[in-house]
This record gives sequence, structure tokens and C-alpha cells, in this order.
Amino acid sequence: MTKQEKLNLIEESLELDENTLTEETVLDDLVEYDSMGKLSLIVLSDEDFDKKLTGEQMDEFKTVGDIIKFFEA
Amino acid sequence: MSMEPQLKNKNILITGASSDIGKSIASELDAIGARLILHASGTKSAAVLTERFGQQHQVIAADFAKPAELSDSFKEILTSTKLDGYINCVGVRSRRPLKLLKPEHTSEIMTINFVSYLEMLRMVTKRGRFNEGLSIVAISSIAAQSGGPGVTAYAASKAAVDAANRCLSKELHGKKIRLNSIICGQVDTSAYKELMASKTEKEDKVLERQFMGLAQPKDIADIALFLLSEKSKFITGSCMYADGGYLT
Repeated sequence: MTKQEKLNLIEESLELDENTLTEETVLDDLVEYDSMGKLSLIVLSDEDFDKKLTGEQMDEFKTVGDIIKFFEA
Repeated sequence: MSMEPQLKNKNILITGASSDIGKSIASELDAIGARLILHASGTKSAAVLTERFGQQHQVIAADFAKPAELSDSFKEILTSTKLDGYINCVGVRSRRPLKLLKPEHTSEIMTINFVSYLEMLRMVTKRGRFNEGLSIVAISSIAAQSGGPGVTAYAASKAAVDAANRCLSKELHGKKIRLNSIICGQVDTSAYKELMASKTEKEDKVLERQFMGLAQPKDIADIALFLLSEKSKFITGSCMYADGGYLT
């Protein structure tokens, strides 16, 4: 899966228009990154990347790139 | 209030017995001399039950995700043992927003938490398989009554269980069978710890309303034993709140 495809999956999870996110996007600047948005990312991580994402790990994410790095680790 | 005279030597089936609440109920019943049939969904968790309870009690593994196979798994044990009580502690959690509630996911949650429970009831209440006064107890949740964001599938599955108990308390009254639900608030279990780990908020908002704090599995077990015993013989079709004040 390419980086762009991962970005698109995150956009879909957060209900954002396609190609609105970059790796540099700061999560705190996104109103869509709320509790339901975070829950969607937990499900995405589990189903598409087979990785359990905890609340503690999410707290450490600063940018969209951090999420992608977690998916790729 | 002593439950011992009522439940000693009684045959009690516990499904989902390897859950923390199930295990606590099993320990309490074991301590007062009930005879148990303990179910777990996986062979691994069944093995843990066998190690802890296998000397005195029967253990059975059967997958609640496959309701059509339950009949074969339980047939032998249910035709050779007349039940006095059945308690269901199976309950798989689901946390996802509506947009991710795809039919396969919702069906899976409904199947494990509700369809298989109903299938167990069909088997357990067949003529000749129970003694007079059979008491059936389902572990339910405050989610079924108050709901919350992201728990639609779980809450609906538990509400379905409660509705079934209400209907069947009327339908099976003639057979002298009682059915009740325990509406649990947050209980200090491994499933709860897992749930909290997945959240970003450190404080559990539910506990602001559940003003008596987190329940221990034994708090739920005490109520389960009361509902299984003859002490509760005038209670059927009810949802008993064990919510630490949450729904008040």
C-alpha cells in the first residue's frame, strides 16, 4: 500500500475530502480528530493493518505522518 | 442472607464462564456445593476452566459465533443433566461509529450476544431437560438501557437479550421457568481494562454517573446467585440494576 493510499484511508476514517491530508497535517488542528474519529482509526488500524492501537499510543501522535509510521512499523 | 440451602447440589450451567464475571459466579457456586457445567467459547479458555474447576465440574467448549453448532456441542450434556439454573455471561464488546457498522460486524455481535443465547434457551428449556423452578439469568449492560456513542451494536444486542427475557418470562411461565437480566454498570474486569486502554480519555466518564464506583465481579455474582436461588422466586422478566447508581 502506498503512502497516498494510507492517507486516503485516514481521510475516509475521519470523513475528510480526498487529498486534504498530508503527512505534516497536525492532528490537533483537525476538528474531525475527535473521539469518534479516533475510534474509527482504532478500527482501521485493527482491520486494515492488523495492529492494536491504544489510547496511550494515540496521545503520542502529533501529525498524520505519526499515524502512518505506526501503521508501517 | 445465606444462599447455601437453595443452591447446594443444584445443576447450574454457566456460558461464558471464563469471563471475569463468569469465573466469579463459578467460584461462588463451587464454594457452596453446586454442580456446574462450565462453557467457554475457545478451547484455550476451556482448558483454563478445566484446570481450575475440572475436578468437580464439567467443562465444555463451543463457539457462540456458530449458533448452528451449539446443539451438537451441548446435546449430550443437556440430555444427561437436568438443570436448575442457567446463567449466560457471554458478551463480546463492540466499539465503532455508525459508518463502520457494516452488516458483517453487526451480524457477528448480534449472533454471539443474542442469537446464540436464544439458541441456548431453546435447548435448555426442552421438555425433560430441567427441574421445576429453573431460573435463567442473563448478564446485560447499562448500554442496553442508556446507550452511548460508538456502542450501537453491543447495546442493541444486550437490549435484544433483555427483550427476549421479558417475552419468555411470560411464554415459559407455564413451565415454571423464570428469566431475568442483570443490568451491569462498569465492572472491574479484563475486558473493562482493555476498553479503557483503547480510549484516549484517562478518566472513565461513566464513573461520574456510576457514583458508587467500579463494581467487582463478585458484586455481580452475589446478585446472580440470588436470582438463581428460590429466594427470588417471585421475580421474573425483570431487569435488575447492578449499576452503582448509573441509571438513577
